[in-house]
Amino acid sequence: MKTISIQTILTSRPMLLTFFLSLAMSINSCDSFVEVDLPKAQLTSTTVFQDVATANAALSDIYSNIRDKGLLTGTAYGVSNQLGSYTDEITCCGAPADPTLDFHNNVLLPSNTAVASFWNTTYNQIYATNAIIEGIRASTTLTANDKKHLEGEALFIRALLHFYLVNLFGDIPYITTTDYRNNSVVSRMPSDEVYQLIIADLGASVNRLPEGYSNTDRIRPNKYAPKAVLARAYLYQGKWADAANAASAVLNKTDLYVWEADLDKVFLKESKETIWQFMSATSGKNTDEAATFIFFSGPPPLVALNENLVNSFTSNDLRKTHWIAAVTDGTTTWHHAYKYKEFNFTPSSQEYSIILRLTEQYLIRAEARAQQGDLIGAKEDLNKIRNRAALNDTNAVSQQEILDAINQERRWEFFTEYGHRFFDLKRYGKINNTLSGIKPGWNSTDILFPLPQSELSANPNLRPQNPGY
Amino acid sequence: MKNFSIYRSWKGFISPFILGLYLSFTPALASTSIKYKQNIQPLSKISGIVTDGQNPLPGVSISIKGKAKSVITSDFNGQYTLEAAPNDTLVASFIGFKTLIIPINGRKIINIKLQEDITSLQEVRVNAGYYSVKESERTGSISKISSAAIEIQPVTNMLATMQGRMAGVSITQTTGIPGGGFEIKIRGQNSIRPGGNAPLYVIDGVPYSSDPIGYNQTSTTFPTVTSPLNSINPDNIESIEVLKDADATSIYGSRGANGVVLVTTKKGKAGKTKFTITASTGSGQVTSFMKLMNTQQYLAMRAKALSNDGITEYQAWDYDINGTWDQNRYTNWQQELLGGTAAISKLQGTISGGSETTQFLFSGNYHTESTVFPGDFLYKLGGAQFSLNHRSEDAKFKMTFSANYTAQDNDQPAFDFTYDARALPPNAPALYDANGNLNWENGTWDNPLRNLSAKFESKTNDLLANTVLSYEIVSGFVLKSSFGFTDLRHTESRISPSTIYNPSYGIGSAYSGIYLNNTNRSSWIVEPQMSWEKELGKGKFSMLLGGTFQNQSTSHLFQSGTGFSSNSLIYDLASATNVRVKLSDETVYKYQAFFARINYNWQERYIVNLTGRRDGSSRFGPGNQFANFGAVGAAWLFSNETFLKNSSWFSFGKLRASYGTTGNDQIGDYQFLNTYSSSGIPYDGVIGLQPTRLYNPDFGWETNKKLEVALETGFLHDRVFLTAAWYRNRSSNQLVGIPLPGTTGFSALQSNLDATVENTGLEFTLRTLNCSTKNFNWTTSLNLTLAQNKLLRFPGLESSSYKEQYRINQPLNIQLLYKYKGLDPQTGVYQFADVNNDGKIAFPDDRQTVVDLNPEYFGGLQNQLSYKHWKLDFLFQFVKQKNRNYPMGFAGQMSNQPTKMLNSWQQPGDNGPYQIYTIGYNDAAVTADYLYSESDAAISDASFIRLKNIALSYDLPLSIKNTQCKIMLQSQNLLTFTKYEDGDPEFTNYGYLPPLKIITAGIQLTF
Repeated sequence: MKTISIQTILTSRPMLLTFFLSLAMSINSCDSFVEVDLPKAQLTSTTVFQDVATANAALSDIYSNIRDKGLLTGTAYGVSNQLGSYTDEITCCGAPADPTLDFHNNVLLPSNTAVASFWNTTYNQIYATNAIIEGIRASTTLTANDKKHLEGEALFIRALLHFYLVNLFGDIPYITTTDYRNNSVVSRMPSDEVYQLIIADLGASVNRLPEGYSNTDRIRPNKYAPKAVLARAYLYQGKWADAANAASAVLNKTDLYVWEADLDKVFLKESKETIWQFMSATSGKNTDEAATFIFFSGPPPLVALNENLVNSFTSNDLRKTHWIAAVTDGTTTWHHAYKYKEFNFTPSSQEYSIILRLTEQYLIRAEARAQQGDLIGAKEDLNKIRNRAALNDTNAVSQQEILDAINQERRWEFFTEYGHRFFDLKRYGKINNTLSGIKPGWNSTDILFPLPQSELSANPNLRPQNPGY
Repeated sequence: MKNFSIYRSWKGFISPFILGLYLSFTPALASTSIKYKQNIQPLSKISGIVTDGQNPLPGVSISIKGKAKSVITSDFNGQYTLEAAPNDTLVASFIGFKTLIIPINGRKIINIKLQEDITSLQEVRVNAGYYSVKESERTGSISKISSAAIEIQPVTNMLATMQGRMAGVSITQTTGIPGGGFEIKIRGQNSIRPGGNAPLYVIDGVPYSSDPIGYNQTSTTFPTVTSPLNSINPDNIESIEVLKDADATSIYGSRGANGVVLVTTKKGKAGKTKFTITASTGSGQVTSFMKLMNTQQYLAMRAKALSNDGITEYQAWDYDINGTWDQNRYTNWQQELLGGTAAISKLQGTISGGSETTQFLFSGNYHTESTVFPGDFLYKLGGAQFSLNHRSEDAKFKMTFSANYTAQDNDQPAFDFTYDARALPPNAPALYDANGNLNWENGTWDNPLRNLSAKFESKTNDLLANTVLSYEIVSGFVLKSSFGFTDLRHTESRISPSTIYNPSYGIGSAYSGIYLNNTNRSSWIVEPQMSWEKELGKGKFSMLLGGTFQNQSTSHLFQSGTGFSSNSLIYDLASATNVRVKLSDETVYKYQAFFARINYNWQERYIVNLTGRRDGSSRFGPGNQFANFGAVGAAWLFSNETFLKNSSWFSFGKLRASYGTTGNDQIGDYQFLNTYSSSGIPYDGVIGLQPTRLYNPDFGWETNKKLEVALETGFLHDRVFLTAAWYRNRSSNQLVGIPLPGTTGFSALQSNLDATVENTGLEFTLRTLNCSTKNFNWTTSLNLTLAQNKLLRFPGLESSSYKEQYRINQPLNIQLLYKYKGLDPQTGVYQFADVNNDGKIAFPDDRQTVVDLNPEYFGGLQNQLSYKHWKLDFLFQFVKQKNRNYPMGFAGQMSNQPTKMLNSWQQPGDNGPYQIYTIGYNDAAVTADYLYSESDAAISDASFIRLKNIALSYDLPLSIKNTQCKIMLQSQNLLTFTKYEDGDPEFTNYGYLPPLKIITAGIQLTF
């Protein structure tokens, strides 16, 4: 016979009832169970471009992104270090796994992750500029003035990034939309056409940006930043008159740009020579360049200056004493770049990474003038640079001598700055002669990087691979 | 909106359901008002011995029929005593024996002889998630392991306990560091998306998300970021069931495509309150090392490499050979950095017991494991478990409550030392200088032990609770509701103090950093269900209807702090000069479903099983949120047909088949939205916003169609039991992050791809009872899986970005490789087949040799032997597979090499087999080395047979009543037989610590 505890049932029943009823109620209270709100850390694209503050935040992010990643970063992964190692500016002393080693040995392969990262990171940054341009154009709430300035900056960055890509990879696609259906099947564009688009974007940017800086630290471009890059683009294209005019436009803006006679002040945050620089990541932090190049005891942990470069300076050149420092362990002496001097944190940041500075405009104009036969004007600009380094006026006479002197001067002036040396050697057609003697791994096809293997596999339209890979 | 109408239909369903429930109480009350009837029979003492015919049987539960509270168990000598009335009936039951019913008939001494129940395996009920079925009557494919197999394995991860024991389930351990992850594939890779192949985990009815909880800036110790699955403590598990075919998984709808892993935790058993204490201790070591060059061999290689490259004067940075480092020094870096012994210890205690109506279990455990690396690192795992079952005396109301709490505390170096151990030159300097400080040898090397101060620490607390309430309203009609709750709190940190940098950088604590990850995940689930069972004609009809409402929210807070005034303040974020929040996010996943099952069992001969589910998920955009899944399964128990019923040798025969659909929604949350998210990085006074992803609002479910046919046969009273199953699963509408070229700005886009992946396979399990005598028992179990994976359909593959990754009719896991042709005896450089005859070896045309890296077959062979008080259990796991060799880079650079590289080309005419040494200046050789690593020559046989587990135990013959003492010796990965030369053959990513060889000794006391 069964004995049943009625109590159990009596207590369980209201409990069950409560559960099922509360369940029914909770369901009645929400209309659509599987609809969710936006995650709290995200905004829809439309919202971002409704307000100038959020649109500005989207644009500022590109600057910090470029400062930290990709081609223009001052870390060991940027072109300043990698192209310095690739040419005759830097030797590499790091551990076998060091990312710089393949650049130093000129043995880049299509599978090289640093090369793939240059490509992917840069196109990701270009995507961000296009997203801003599209977002601004679609916005109905931003003022015309805000739209003009934001678009001007985005166009400038888009052109600048393509400029570096075309010089490293040769023919490349020029991306002007965010539409992946289009961007995933693009083909390579002949580099002359790429240059036309770069020049067009830079021109449009000059027209949109204001004369003055929005921030006293010059951390966002005014119209002279695209103008300065325009001068460089014309120079690389051999459009001498345009290059000279663009450079003059910058050089004539004397109320903003003041020639800095003291070498030790050129790379300070407040330098009036600076056309555009990157704000450091945090207050008190200084440049990534200083952290990459400076070392305190030998042998160097990562990189040192190539002695070939160090020995090329004449002994009285102030740049050798002010922009280069020596480290010795008693028997061997090494050198490092010392343009940026603040290795550690300082109470407030002393130095920012300078992307564009006035000196380059003088040398651009000097070269463009020399090419056009204005030898006196060329020497005038060249001597301005030489005199600051306590060198006498150049004794070059013929056009070729002057051009050679300018090339030599660029090596001394721009070492470890954004790969100038590599691009200059290529432009002058001197790269094979110069490097094959110094660099055992150098091949004539090394003037272009390989396209990343993953890229050729993802988009067959980008084939063929650059020669030699 | 489309889902609105669905919701309406739910309301329509639930309202009468609740109403019906409510109304049902009134008549129910009337029907249950039964009067008490007093039992007035006098009680007398009954005693006796329980035996199996030969030996006394301890632990047998003996009860009086109809008296719930009367349960007792026999003691160690098989003796029992209880009080009963002369006309009562005794019920003696014991697992593995037939239950015996003995009318007392006035006797005082009753000796009970239990008969071993060799067919009892067929009577065991198997958990199928929302319902359970008798093993003999199941229509689906379900593999099971129980606590007996789990407890003998000295491991801390649930997936480790399953390795080699289940047909169709392939599990690979990714690292030997505790807290690391496992890769599991149930019947192969269904989704092209690498992250979309995890099964659904359900613990006591509560879905447990296996989405990673780590952060790539903090979980740098492991090849994959931290998985929450380490929180499922094997000590608490009673059984693990893996659901494989459509019949079993369709009721899990959109989440069943990759199989379902059901975990059932331990529950109390009726009987005397039992205390169990288990303690064990042991050690772990790396299974195998690579054979690397010694100093003499290495320096000879370097010298030759330099001379091959025409370098006569050693360069300043060639420290190993230019005299900077001692050239007579030799360090076996693998021994030095990975050769330690991990100390392992475990303590566990359980109290369980209860009456017929209420049972409880309470247990606690604590486990520690140190490291094989240098330094003091420790993994700690502890937890508590509580379980309570209750049923009313009329068995109409039932309640189950269980709660599991697990805490982990893991302290590891932030980086695995395996890479350094293999690459460091054998004459690299000493680790410590004379004063015991880290030796940097004047900045000429990166001391590997610098990473000892780069610490990874994680703490995970996980609570999982569930309650199931059920009430049988009228006979056969049960209303049930389960409620589940999970709460996981995980914190992780990695520090990067300035002391990890070469001092010649001159870096101070201003460059020290800390990375922090706080991830919390909580979820609740409510699943109301009703089931109905009825005899219908000559058969039995059962039906189940239910609904699911689940809400899961996950929050992440990723932070970094850099710039400290002192390294001793590094854990204090407030002392950091720069604090950055990298991600502060909360995501919500909501899920809603209705499911049903209809089963008809005709005379235990013909069984039909229909299951279905309608699912809605917040992971999809409007219009794509809902989908239907369903399956039909059938079984024919032909051994119950009259023509076979009385066969003397054929004891069991079943043919079963199933077909149906399941889905896959593992794509992460909010992927259909076009958004900007915070980058956390300030510039010009504002925190940046960056585009989150390329967006596609239109993607939907991945569907998986499963077909299975299986034959189960038992011979000689099931002493030989063989199951053979064939399956074919086809996954289509592939939900893929389609890789995009970098020119799009991103690397992938989420989208449905009209491709089909097929997995087919044969699974065999064989269990034989080889010997069963008075003192000696021997059973053998074998499982074997032969599986094939194939990309069946991929429209437009030729023009897609997958062109150089997949081939139609080939597995997903293929490698496209260059074809190695041998060494050029003149130049000493590797040669490859120039497939397109264009005079150069280049991607993609020449990289077309297909190699399949999926296992050809795998399985396990288990033997269980017992002799008197001794028990021996061992499992051999075997896998037939190929895998990549460990890439050491080109030989000749400043990095050690395997000894096989001694057989390198030295001068024209040599045949190697390995190519010319170079320090990196020989372009042709560097390129050829790269091509070699991407060629078929870089693949070798990585098959292995492993003594996965061996456990020996001895029951001390104690004379103390009701007390048992067992001594145990257990080992994991004790022996490995393989031809693979580059370390242990079990890995997914190379360069990480292999699974450890563990040996422990322990003692278990029960009283």
